Amino acid sequence: MPTCEQISEDLFRKTITRAVQDVFKTMIGLQADLIPLAETTAPEDESPKPPMDITGPQVVGTVGFVGDISGLIYLYLDAGFANDLAARILGMTNAELEATGDEVVNDAVGELTNMTVGTFKNQLSDHGYACKLTIPSILRGSNFSIEPTASATRRIYRFQINNHVLVADLLMKQGD
Amino acid sequence: MRYKILTVDDSKTVRIIVKKAFKTFDCDIIEASNGVEGLAIAAKEMPDVILLDVTMPVMDGVEMLTKLKSDPALKGIPVIMLTAEGGRDNVLKIAKIGVRDYMVKPFKEDLLIEKIGRVIDLKPIGDGIQKAKSIFDPATILVVEDKPIIVQQIQDGIKHTPWKTTGVNTTGEAIDFCSRTTPDLVIISLSLPEEAAFMLFRLIRNNVKTKYTPIFGLVVKTDTLVVQQAQQVGFTSIVTKPIEVQDLEAKIAKAMNLDTSQRYFSIEDNVLLMRLPENTTAVMLNEIMNYLKPKTSEAVDTGIFRAVIDMHELKRFDMTLIKLIFGTMQTFRELAMQFALVGNPQIVAECKGFEDTKLWQFFDSTAEAKAHMSKNTSGQPALAETTN
Repeated sequence: MPTCEQISEDLFRKTITRAVQDVFKTMIGLQADLIPLAETTAPEDESPKPPMDITGPQVVGTVGFVGDISGLIYLYLDAGFANDLAARILGMTNAELEATGDEVVNDAVGELTNMTVGTFKNQLSDHGYACKLTIPSILRGSNFSIEPTASATRRIYRFQINNHVLVADLLMKQGD
Repeated sequence: MRYKILTVDDSKTVRIIVKKAFKTFDCDIIEASNGVEGLAIAAKEMPDVILLDVTMPVMDGVEMLTKLKSDPALKGIPVIMLTAEGGRDNVLKIAKIGVRDYMVKPFKEDLLIEKIGRVIDLKPIGDGIQKAKSIFDPATILVVEDKPIIVQQIQDGIKHTPWKTTGVNTTGEAIDFCSRTTPDLVIISLSLPEEAAFMLFRLIRNNVKTKYTPIFGLVVKTDTLVVQQAQQVGFTSIVTKPIEVQDLEAKIAKAMNLDTSQRYFSIEDNVLLMRLPENTTAVMLNEIMNYLKPKTSEAVDTGIFRAVIDMHELKRFDMTLIKLIFGTMQTFRELAMQFALVGNPQIVAECKGFEDTKLWQFFDSTAEAKAHMSKNTSGQPALAETTN
């Protein structure tokens, strides 16, 4: 059985980039550009402090995948961007969206995360790493961090979408 | 009969997107948020097609599909999977249980419509039940013709209408246009190279959004073989070159099922006005005849008993027009309406030359005719023949 250690960094980067770009282009008509690593990572002596590059209230969508390889992907968005995306995907005005409350925005971000992680894991499945998706969940807050356990490897990718930054935080379970 | 589409997805977002995608079609969207709800609603509503997600709480899509296919009453309902679960193995496993189609998220609304359209006969809302659109409403006409001068002729010929005419050179451009905007009518040159017109016709007919759009073939009059071929294939109408723009306009109005009565009939100051346009063609005469009785009855029904037959724009007068006017007078008399004629010097002079029309009296303008009738309260119906 293949293990996740056999997947190259290049494949991870290309796979997550294609997933984010496909989902945002197809569902919302927005271009997502991967921000080069050199522009985003902290100095070598400092480990990245997620959620990087996003300040203030945030909405974080997460979906896992379980199977030949297992892991989780978190998508970090600032709350304003999350509202904007929800309005676009649902065809609602910002005023209509505000009237519905957080639930609708949460659901939209959850679905965008589900599609992104689905596209990511479908590509890996076609490389021989069969796995299934979990149900999406949402985190909201202004001052929090998500820390992986020691058994997980972490990769962070940032995307520029319409003057906003979307952070994809990929946690893979080691040893699968 | 309205078709029912059941969308089973735990994501409200997906259910809203599905609703949004089909809001312009004559169908009902029913929602369920998991497999248990989906099965219950399927049994109650008997939808025509089910859009089914895979990963859901309570009961997932695979279990729902398995139960659906083992229920004799429900197993015939076509199921289209709409899921983020792609990958060859997943798709093959689910396909074995029995699905009509499989869509992997993210998805474009157009593709969803196309796939559903292959299962049920989707029709745009109002198809057949929509109130008649008027000749004065805007419409989008696409002309597919590689000769710019022909496109220009069509644009010039119908520029007085509120219709927006767009010309494209190739079938590729036409397909691009249709994917952005659904035209109300398409005119395709049948002389495009390599029978491209017929290929485009099939593509337009196979697209859910345009399958009921009228399609005209544009061809040189003498090319009878191509005309026959186009008629056999099912082109809505054939327009021959050189193009007679009035004939084209009438054909467009007919194909789009437009109410053209306002071009000929209106109510002004409690008077029914029947107006004959400058170049009244045989098609127009036919339209006027068809509208005459209903429009007159409608006017009488609302308490109007005066009418003006306005011929001041006419450039020529012939037997067909005389027959129309006699028929109109007869209708007005039957309904005890007062009426008056308005004409120009040429029409007045021509009428003097015919035995049957030489006694007709004309006013110079509708205002004059209306003023005269408002003074005449005697209830005389045949005003045109009794006044001087």
